[in-house]
Order: sequence, then structure tokens, then C-alpha cells
Amino acid sequence: MTGTTIEATALTKRYGHVTAVRDLTFSVRPGAVTGFLGPNGAGKTTTLRMILGLVTPTAGTVTIGGRPYRALDRPTSVVGAAFTPGAFHPGHTARRHLGVYAAMGGYPARRVGDLLDLLELTGAADRRIGTYSTGMRQRLALATALLGDPSVLLLDEPGNGLDPAGAAWLRALLRRLADEGRTVLVSSHVLGEVRQIADDVLVLHRGRLVAAGPWAELAGPLAVVVGTPDAPALARLLTAHALTVTPDGPHHLRVRGADAARIADLAAADGVRVHELRTEPADLERLFLDLTAEEAA
Amino acid sequence: MTRALVTAELRRLAATRLWWVGLLVAVGFGGGLTGALALTGPEHFTPPMPGLHTATGVRLVLGMLGFTAFVPAALGTLAMTTEYRYRTVDVTFLFVPARGRVVVAKLVAYTVAGLAYGATLAVTAGLGLYGGAAARGVPLGLSASVVAGLLARIGVAMAVYTVLGVAVGALLRNQILALAVVVGYLYAGETLLMIIPGVNTLYPVLPGGALSALTGFHYVADAVAQQVPTGGIRLLPPTTGALLLLGYAAVAATVAVLAPLRRDVR
Ligand SMILES: Nc1ncnc2c1ncn2[C@@H]1O[C@H](COP(=O)(O)OP(=O)(O)OP(=O)(O)O)[C@@H](O)[C@H]1O
Ligand SMILES: [Mg+2]
Repeated sequence: MTGTTIEATALTKRYGHVTAVRDLTFSVRPGAVTGFLGPNGAGKTTTLRMILGLVTPTAGTVTIGGRPYRALDRPTSVVGAAFTPGAFHPGHTARRHLGVYAAMGGYPARRVGDLLDLLELTGAADRRIGTYSTGMRQRLALATALLGDPSVLLLDEPGNGLDPAGAAWLRALLRRLADEGRTVLVSSHVLGEVRQIADDVLVLHRGRLVAAGPWAELAGPLAVVVGTPDAPALARLLTAHALTVTPDGPHHLRVRGADAARIADLAAADGVRVHELRTEPADLERLFLDLTAEEAA
Repeated sequence: MTRALVTAELRRLAATRLWWVGLLVAVGFGGGLTGALALTGPEHFTPPMPGLHTATGVRLVLGMLGFTAFVPAALGTLAMTTEYRYRTVDVTFLFVPARGRVVVAKLVAYTVAGLAYGATLAVTAGLGLYGGAAARGVPLGLSASVVAGLLARIGVAMAVYTVLGVAVGALLRNQILALAVVVGYLYAGETLLMIIPGVNTLYPVLPGGALSALTGFHYVADAVAQQVPTGGIRLLPPTTGALLLLGYAAVAATVAVLAPLRRDVR
């Protein structure tokens, strides 16, 4: 599978006075799962809809393999997309729903059976979608997105409402699709979900991109949590040494930019008491909260 | 590719129980209503009308079918509004970013469905008419070929009304609103307009008037004429009425095809 890259340049969307997305420039590479993170209202869905030509940007451009979505010859054979909650006529069965869109995309009828099998929906394929559980709907939305065997997959909050087994199943599927060389962009506001799967992350806050890159790089340097009765003094000292310090309760500081040994040495040299010193495992959740908190301040 | 779209839309239509409802309604209004009217006999209507042994009586009974045109129009509005209601319009526009083509495909598919509805209505109405008359032993006041012609025109008119409904739905997007507008206008609105002096002289060129011209149903025109001091409201000739009706459908369809192109899909 040849890789297809998504490129956004200075993408902006305004709704009246609300700027949903502001001057967004990023690229999403093939062969990886990219997590698209941000709190509620950050502009994730709006961005995905602009990539897909459903919403027209106020300014900027976004291309898939060099072309805007609406200029693609057979768009669903290049890009598959699923929003949450999925969009279905409740009176259709899964088989008929997929049959309609297979006909629309000009895909052979056997794709329908194949996808029902792949997404483990065959047993329920002839039931009305109105009777489906959340997890079944998510899988049917994915099946619809995969009809054209696309090289790019855009999923908006696909993990919403999935139980742990369903979430693990989804991660395995996304991993496999990325390993096949596809470009997989997955939005979420739940960090835990993304950190288990994403190779890269884009972090959005209030419509702006606040971080982008391989998540291993973003999450390290590791944070060191320091317990001290002299928090203000230690904060001043460490900041003076160009470390990033965020208060974490009255007697704790979260420090980035140095390991525990260097922090302990700095404190000892200045005679500041340290009661606790603990290196946090790479924690995207924390990073995410830090990033979005700084931006809010 | 466009054929694939029409196929997809026909499949979508067949995928719900809606087509069953359409079929039942067509049989109910066609065979049921016409059969009941024929069995009753226009001479027993209030006020009494010429019986089935007269040409007027037969035209009257068949023309009643025109009042059921709101049904295919209402079914037509569902073509696009259902997509907005369940948000499947997102998926549809992802498959076909040229949004006008989606509306064109629906117009074609619903024309086919409208013709099927019209054919069912017309055939069962014919059965109801002849069955009812035969049951009462009344010879019909119109020849079989004229009756067949009238029924064919009514059938076609149903398809045109379906298309009008599709167009209105595509423009309004909201299901309840589109249903209210179409049913409200066809069922009550146009009749209410007739009460307004001046406006009622327009009746022949309104969709209802054009439909009456096509089906040769003079009852409403005659009723309106009695209120117009200058006398006489004349329906258009049937062919002109048919063309006018098609013109309404064409204009509505064109606007409907062009309208969704620019708007964001929410
Ligand atoms: N059609 C619209 N009209 C007006 N404002 C809108 C519209 N769509 C989105 N917005 C606003 O744009 C901002 C971003 O919304 P968006 O849905 O893209 O966020 P999100 O990151 O997907 O959030 P969530 O995690 O809650 O799904 C919000 O402030 C939202 O209210
Ligand atoms: Mg969203």
C-alpha cells in the first residue's frame, strides 16, 4: 500500500464570533496511528470535517495525497471516515446499509459480506440497526468507512462507549491497518485510550495546535515530582535553572527538564528541604493537562 | 457512476418498510377510495352529484384521487430529509462530494417510485371503479379508453408530485417542516388561498389547478368560479396543465440540486 499523507496549512474555521479552528498547520504520516487530542470543544470534529470537505474552511487548505477531498476521483477508495455516534437509518439492517453504500461507491457486493465478517457483525447483519448496541454501531461505522479499502482512515472518537474488550479489539484493528501502511488519524479526548495506540499525537486546544510529534518524544522528558515543605523557594530555584515547574498541590512540584538526581543536588546545594522525589512514568495525561492548562492561563 | 447512484438510492428506498406503506396507501386510496365512492354513487354525495352513468359523475369520482396527491408528495420529502434527520447525509456526501448529483439520483429514483405508486393507484382505482359500478349494475358514462387515459394522467401526476416533494425536502432539510409545508399546502393551503379575492383567479396556474387540469377535475374550479364576480375560472387545457406541473417540478428540482452545494453539513 502506497502511503498517503494529510497536509493542513493555516486551516481556520470561524462560526460567527466563535473561532473553532485557528491557523492549524500539521501533517499526518502514513504507516502510523496519529492521535488527535483535545478537550471538548477544541475543534477536533471541525478539523476532521474540513479534511473531508463537509465543512468549508474560512481560510487555509487541507489535502490528502496532494488533493483536496472533493477533488479525489473516488474519494471513499482513498479516505474512509467514521463519526461518533455513527449515522444510520435505524430501519435498515447492517447488510442493507452497507449494500446501499457499496452500490454508491461502485464496490462489489462481496465487500459487504467481507466487512461484516471483519467487524464481527455477521450474526447481527440482518437485524434492524435501531436495535444495535453502541459497540455494534461503532463497528458498523468502521465497516462503512472501510468499504473502499481506503489508504487513509479518519475516525472521530471511535472509542466512545466501548467496553475494555471492545477498546482492545479496536486498538488491534487500528494497529493492523497502520502496519499495512495506512494513514490512521483518530480523535479522542480520552488520553488513556490514545496513549496505548498512537505513534504520533496532535494536541489541539481552543482551536490551536499546542503540540505535535511522535508521542514518545512529547511525553519524555519525564516529569519528576518533588515533595517539599518549601515549595515556593524550590520553585524559584529550579525555574532559575531553566527547568519547567508546575505546582501540584501545596507541597509538591512537577518538574521537567532534569532527572531526580540533578534536582536533589540543586536542592541540597541551596539547602532546600526535599521530602519526596519520584520520577513519573511518561504520562501523556499529565502532559495534556499541562499543555492545555498553560494555554488557558 | 450516476447509474450506480440511482441504484444505490433505489436500494435505500427498498431497505425500509416505507415502500410497503406506499404500496398500501396506493391500494387504499386507489382501489379502496374509488371503490367506496363508486359503490356509494355520486348521486348520494352531499350535495348530490351526477351519477356514474354520466361522464361528469365518472370524472368526479376519479378526480377525487387528485386530493390524495399530498401522499406521494409527502413520501417524496423523505428522500433528503431522512438523510438529514439521521445524519446519513454526512456519509452520503463523503461517497459523493458533488452534492447536486446526490439530489439528481434521488430525483430519478423517486420518479421511478412515484410512477410505481401512480401505476398502483391507477390500476386499483380502475378496478374499484368498474367493480363498484358493476356491483350496482350502473353502466359507466365514459368509455373505457377515456377512463384509462384519465387514470394514466392521474398516475403520472402522482410521480410529478413525488418529485415536487423531493425538491421541497431537499430545500428545507427539516423533515417535520417539509412534511408540514407540503401536506399543509396541498391539503389545506391551496384551498384556503381560494378564499382570498384576486388570488383565487390564479387557481388554474397553481399546482393544484394544474393537477385538476391534467385530471380533468373541475369541481374546485367551479366552486371558486361561483365566488368570482367576473365569473368563470377556466382550467388550463390538460396538456398545458401537465406541462405546467412538470415545469413546477423542474424548477423545484433545479433549485434543489443547486441549493446544497455551498452549505456546510452540520
Ligand atoms: N456548526 C457550528 N456552528 C457554530 N459553532 C460550531 C459549529 N460547529 C462547531 N462549533 C464550535 O466550534 C468549536 C469546536 O467544536 P468541535 O465540535 O470541533 O470540537 P471537538 O474538539 O470535536 O469537541 P468534542 O470533544 O466535544 O467533540 C466549539 O466551540 C463548537 O461550539
Ligand atoms: Mg467532536
